Amino acid sequence: MPYELVALGIMGLSLTLYALLGGADFGAGVWEFNSAFQTSDKERALLQRAVGPVWEANHVWLLFALVIAHTAFPLAFAAVSQALWLPLLLALGGIVFRGVGFVFRAYAVGAPRQQSVWGAVFALASTAAPFFFGAAVGALASGGLAIAPDGSYQGDFATGWVQPLGIFTAFFAVGVCAYLAAVYFAREAWIAGEDELLETWRRRALASGAAMGILAAVGLLFLSLEAPRLWARLAPGASPGGVLVVASAGAGLGSLIFLWRRAFTWATVAAASAVVAVMLGWMLAQYPYLVPPAITVEAAMGPPGTTRTAVFTALAGGVLLVPALGFLFYLFKSAPRADD
Amino acid sequence: MSPLALVQSAAGEANLTFARLQMAFTLGAHIVVACLGVGLPVLMLVAEGLALRTDDPVWRSLARRWAKAFAVLFAVGAVSGTVLSFELGLLWPEFMGTFGAVIGLPFTLEGFAFFMEAIFAGIYLYGWERLSPPAHWWCGVPVALSGLASAAFVVTANAWMNTPSGFTLGADGRVESAQPLAAMLSPAAWPQVLHMVVAAYAVTGFLVAAYYAMRVLRHGGRTYDRRALLLGFCLGAPAALVQPALGHWAGHMVAQTQPVKLAAMEGQFRSEARAPLRIGGWPDEERMHTPYALELTGGLSWMAHGDADATVQGLEEFPRADWPPVLIVHLAFQAMVAAGMALCALSLWGAVALIRRRRLPTARPFLLAAIASGPLAVLALEAGWVVTEVGRQPWIVQGVMRTRDAVTQASGLGVLFALTLALYAILFGGCAKVLELLADRPL
Repeated sequence: MPYELVALGIMGLSLTLYALLGGADFGAGVWEFNSAFQTSDKERALLQRAVGPVWEANHVWLLFALVIAHTAFPLAFAAVSQALWLPLLLALGGIVFRGVGFVFRAYAVGAPRQQSVWGAVFALASTAAPFFFGAAVGALASGGLAIAPDGSYQGDFATGWVQPLGIFTAFFAVGVCAYLAAVYFAREAWIAGEDELLETWRRRALASGAAMGILAAVGLLFLSLEAPRLWARLAPGASPGGVLVVASAGAGLGSLIFLWRRAFTWATVAAASAVVAVMLGWMLAQYPYLVPPAITVEAAMGPPGTTRTAVFTALAGGVLLVPALGFLFYLFKSAPRADD
Repeated sequence: MSPLALVQSAAGEANLTFARLQMAFTLGAHIVVACLGVGLPVLMLVAEGLALRTDDPVWRSLARRWAKAFAVLFAVGAVSGTVLSFELGLLWPEFMGTFGAVIGLPFTLEGFAFFMEAIFAGIYLYGWERLSPPAHWWCGVPVALSGLASAAFVVTANAWMNTPSGFTLGADGRVESAQPLAAMLSPAAWPQVLHMVVAAYAVTGFLVAAYYAMRVLRHGGRTYDRRALLLGFCLGAPAALVQPALGHWAGHMVAQTQPVKLAAMEGQFRSEARAPLRIGGWPDEERMHTPYALELTGGLSWMAHGDADATVQGLEEFPRADWPPVLIVHLAFQAMVAAGMALCALSLWGAVALIRRRRLPTARPFLLAAIASGPLAVLALEAGWVVTEVGRQPWIVQGVMRTRDAVTQASGLGVLFALTLALYAILFGGCAKVLELLADRPL
């Protein structure tokens, strides 16, 4: 297989894992925003326990995708950096203040006023980050950015990124984060044996899952009207895009059934699968373009040899990374054993 | 030039200024917490190791408290580092579009190092109850090692900007072929990496020593504070004492590869044999001389070329358009060296007392000097970065791409910079308040 496709795969995998893991961490803040910053001590303790050990590692997936992007596809990276500079800056602001808001609140024990301020910062920033990432992805995928094939950007730096599809995907991304967080937290509360929180999060997961199902259906309708090029790849009968849409819907529905039947680990797997299908669908719909309709994967590549180095480095690094990540998640995310 | 092109070039100049200020400020802020992220895990592991060996609760509470401070600082370092990795593309798209692939290798490796650091930091910080005490200690080791590794990798990318190698340019200005490993191991890589990681330990050691020296002075010599001061000193002092040799090596590399930067650092306008080493001085670009300096004849020739009679190239040999801002570079270099020398003196003072009396001096002058060592170490660090970065101007990639040609065309960089200043004030102010709370709260 050509190296650029492997690099593309690594970038796609990183972005998908970022959505699944980092997205859920944002979702925790989205729920605090949603409940007008009102959280109980128990809720915050669960958040700390569940997100504290893993959020920084989850965040690295984004940096990793960024590095692969500029190493393997420098032309597309430069073009996107210009065209989407404002939403990316806004998302960056969200990332920065989500991180410090979370940690400062956790460690400012004994100063409740500081804690509540940082809690609000955490909630707002956690909502802003996926919102602007979503807007950026939608604007990119819709092909509406005025990027020339040589990578130069001809559009407006302040407003060019505001695209109809982007507005939809902004809200969709926030919704995905909230839904993933609710499902994961239901499982976390179940592991921790917090019955009251379990009911809260189960209810939230069911509600947000149902809402996301409706939003996704609206989104497909929207795609068929606004983005015919993407729709052609995802419409019923299109292969394999159409299959992914069905798979996503099926997995989403499955997560609701598992939640209803209190099979929380399975609900987590199903919810994550639904999101994986959405991410795959996005990537597939715009392939072979990195920046539709101007820059293809092949055109975006760096000089010969660099992509191969990037791929081998990433694969070799994975040998260290996978067991370490496995240990982290085994330590903090295992289901309770019978003797606990 | 057409009127439109004139307007565009004026806007471009403003963009260049604000983009450079933005990069300098966010890098300058990140570098301090990044140093603490490299150095604090070492202190934390030493304290925890001593606690394991001696079962002494003082060591244990030091380890626990430093771990919490590390958690806060690591988060600030992670997000402020993320700002930089975004800014590379957002502020300098032409640079990344042209050379992103050439310097991708160190960034990929840094990504892995940061991954390992984040994973084991999570395990270390949240694993006190889940792991046996020795297993917990061992999980801290990768944190210290990968912090060191990620600093080293990212500095090689900067070294490449100073001594670009490992690629060939085509006639169209695009990169035709690249050897990423050769680019990563560019000539300046080793001297810059070692100079920086040693600086990271020095900064951490002296900041910790300064903080606890203040507490010893204020509250008298409680065991807890005295031990913390000792550990900080023992990290900072050896680093400060080897730093002049590493700095000399780095300077030697500058003399060989970036003679115009060296001339600016030394305020050397004319080419001359037996060039003097200047202490102080105020370079005057218009009149091409550096008055008010104490000049040691032949010193610069000897430092740069190992021969007091050697000729040192002055700025006059280079076109004005290729000069960095001489005054800033010279003053920053002088400040770095002066601060470094002061830290060496303090280190020797403490080391002699440690060898003779097996403890650090407790006299007020030593404590005051130790308090000054924290800000001095930060000054040396920042000044050193000013030397390497401002000294490379007007190039973003020495001799290959001008900073002006790399900057984004986006508008609003001035607003962005103002906002960044305000937001970083909140961020670092908040960080200081949380650290203050942590220092005094019972564990």
